[in-house]
Amino acid sequence: MADRFDSDSLLALEKAFLKVPLVQLRGSTSKAYKNFEKESKHLQTQIKQLQNEIALNNKVDADKIREIHENIEKWLGSSKLEFLEAHREGQKHVARGRQRVDHLSEVSLITNIYDPKYKEWTGKRADRVIVDYLLREGFRDTAIQLARESDIESLVDIDLFTEAHVIEQALRKNRCTEALRWCNENKSSLRKINSTLEFILRVQEVIELCRENKREEALKYSKEHFKAYIDVNKKGVQDVKKTDSQSGPIRRRDNVKTISSDDPLYKQYLQMMGALAFPPNTTCKPYKALYDPIRWERLIARFRIDFYELNALPSQPLLNVTLQAGLSALKTPMCYQHENKNIDCPVCSPDTLGTLAKDLPMNHHVNSTLVCRISKKIMNEDNYPMILPNGCAYSRDALAEMASKNDDKVTCPRTGEVYEFSKCKKLYIL
Amino acid sequence: MPQSDCLDVVLYKDRAMDVINSAQTEYKKIETKHIDFFPKIIEKMQTSTLNQQITQDSTNEVETVKLNLMEILRSIELLTSQVNDDHKEFQKTISRYEKVIDKKWKQDITIASNPDAFVDKEPVLQRTIALHFIRQGKFKLVDTFMQDTQLMDFTTDLQEQFDHMYEILDAINNFNLELALEWAKSKRKELEQRGSSLEFDLHRLHYIKYLVKQQDRKGALNYARLNFNDFQTRHMHEIRRLMCAILYIDRLESSPYADLTSNDAWTDIQTTFTRDFCNLLKMSCDSPLYTSLTVGSTALPTIIKMATIMKEKKNEWSQQDELPVEVPLTDDMRFHSIFACPVSKEQSSEDNPPMMMPCGHVICKESLNKLSKGNGRFKCPYCPSESTSNQAVKTYRTVFSRMATRDVILGLIIVAADAEILTYFDMKF
Repeated sequence: MADRFDSDSLLALEKAFLKVPLVQLRGSTSKAYKNFEKESKHLQTQIKQLQNEIALNNKVDADKIREIHENIEKWLGSSKLEFLEAHREGQKHVARGRQRVDHLSEVSLITNIYDPKYKEWTGKRADRVIVDYLLREGFRDTAIQLARESDIESLVDIDLFTEAHVIEQALRKNRCTEALRWCNENKSSLRKINSTLEFILRVQEVIELCRENKREEALKYSKEHFKAYIDVNKKGVQDVKKTDSQSGPIRRRDNVKTISSDDPLYKQYLQMMGALAFPPNTTCKPYKALYDPIRWERLIARFRIDFYELNALPSQPLLNVTLQAGLSALKTPMCYQHENKNIDCPVCSPDTLGTLAKDLPMNHHVNSTLVCRISKKIMNEDNYPMILPNGCAYSRDALAEMASKNDDKVTCPRTGEVYEFSKCKKLYIL
Repeated sequence: MPQSDCLDVVLYKDRAMDVINSAQTEYKKIETKHIDFFPKIIEKMQTSTLNQQITQDSTNEVETVKLNLMEILRSIELLTSQVNDDHKEFQKTISRYEKVIDKKWKQDITIASNPDAFVDKEPVLQRTIALHFIRQGKFKLVDTFMQDTQLMDFTTDLQEQFDHMYEILDAINNFNLELALEWAKSKRKELEQRGSSLEFDLHRLHYIKYLVKQQDRKGALNYARLNFNDFQTRHMHEIRRLMCAILYIDRLESSPYADLTSNDAWTDIQTTFTRDFCNLLKMSCDSPLYTSLTVGSTALPTIIKMATIMKEKKNEWSQQDELPVEVPLTDDMRFHSIFACPVSKEQSSEDNPPMMMPCGHVICKESLNKLSKGNGRFKCPYCPSESTSNQAVKTYRTVFSRMATRDVILGLIIVAADAEILTYFDMKF
């Protein structure tokens, strides 16, 4: 166990680390491509229309031909620019991805845990994990400064979290626009994970309109935006139910999410429509809840979950996950007993990590361990315990080293008493 | 290390390297694909027949226009499908790499964590981070962090201490020991009580500096006369050795004192100094947050595996007092002596303390009660001797508090070497 070096577990945290630039790369190329394709389809129908017209009238409208030619040129020109832009953007992500792969490869140079490279690498990882936490909690300035000081800017995702931060701030100010724009940009990916984010954002917008007593607008808004979800045609709903009853709450049909009548979202929708009839100061329970500002907190939470999932980020900060695992592994009952504290043990600090570890399970041990107080090393047959005349016991190696430096005398660190090394007796562990 | 363990290490290492290597190969593919993906598309757009077709003068003749339009449509379709193919292929390359990653990290790491465990403890976590920054000497960062979090400025005092520590370390790094010596002298009593020989080690290094770096015989002698006097009782042997080395000042490398020339001493003294400095502040040498995170990432694979199995069995573990499996720790991460009962394999606790039987073997109270079934006689599970349960002694409280070895409690058995020491156990054998 002692020096066991397991580079596999060294990589336990790195999934998102490798995946995030990939997701970004994919995003940066598909946007340009999507526009290109959309415009191409548009042109094709335009041309086909013109062809039909010509066939019908047997006459050519020179203006229309010119228009098509212009459109094609515009299409080629703007696509070229967009592809070039996407190339630049993508290159950034490719470079970051390369730096990350290279950073992980440094693990192969580490031979054991006493290697200075080990400390350097794990130190960098600790910084990365802390930056991830800081960014998620919105402490951007600290995050950026730490990334710069530790020279890990390419190894953390400042830009990505900044994007999320801007949207979150807007939601905090009760504004959905940014979040809805994000939903629109990521429509297909959100659909893939059955996200309800856009729906609840829309509901919130209607509620806000009701709050401001703009019922006409609220009605208009809901007509405009919920058509896509709520299939007015009852037969349609039933059809969906029959064919898709196994899949998630939101069904997909012709690329439009529809909601069946037994769906909780449908209830929410009905309730929202009901809110049109109730003022914001209503005491009627379900409607009072709709006007509750806590809904905004939930919206933010929902947005975070979807944003993290879409970008291959874990739902919890890496710091929390890693710290919990570490504290559990280190925690012993002794950490909370005053006379048994060890200043080197993280869990023994009552004000900080000790408090954090309080509700975590402690590690399971099937074998006994004897730890020397001086050298902090494990005592075993090779480094056996020796007992001082005052009754304190320490490891042989530690006492011998002390004696060799101090003219064959040892000082008990607990009591400060000084003894001849030869007065120390061996204890046997059988 | 048993052979199977060795094999494990090799396998582990191989597995990690496998992932890294395949990540590298896959990444190369993405890079090359990316580098020629866009230029290829743009080139296609430029060389496409479209460009010629639309610049062609459009005559008003219906049939020509019809033909021309058809050509254009076909070219657009062709161009679009070509770009589509390229795009798809590029996305495929990315997906392939993603699959490699997903295969290696099958589990979501959040399965190992309890999202509620740190709820309402954010200020504590932030304090921990602030302390971590201070420990690393990142004082400007602490200021920014304080502003970001609006935490109270609780750390100025500590900040000064660590500022001092880093100043000294910086000096040592430049082969200047004056500051460190000044500090060590001011803390001589505390250091000596801890059994630390830091002050002498610093003087020793300073003397060696005269010897090795400056080859200044006179300076070295003077320094020795001035400074070694205080240490003659504790370090006579080493002082003698150092003084002898002066004879070889011109060719230390090939002398019996070659070890003195090693530059490692300069990094070692930094470690020793940091440890002593932090310990006098009642702090650990490494930042506790760093230690916890490092242990955490080592522990994660085990915990993830356990959590996955528990989830399949629909068992809850994060709320329990103890993990259902042992997370292996490296020796330097074991900070407390632990007694695990050799019979029940359970850790001792307040209610279930280790008990020593007259023969010297130790088991926990619950196991003892089970063995004795009340108050009867029973045989020790590890030796032929028999005893009754009321003969067993609670090691925690009585024996070991007298011995003052609370944190050295027992391996399976501790048997003292001779009768003289047995009196410390206060037991008659």
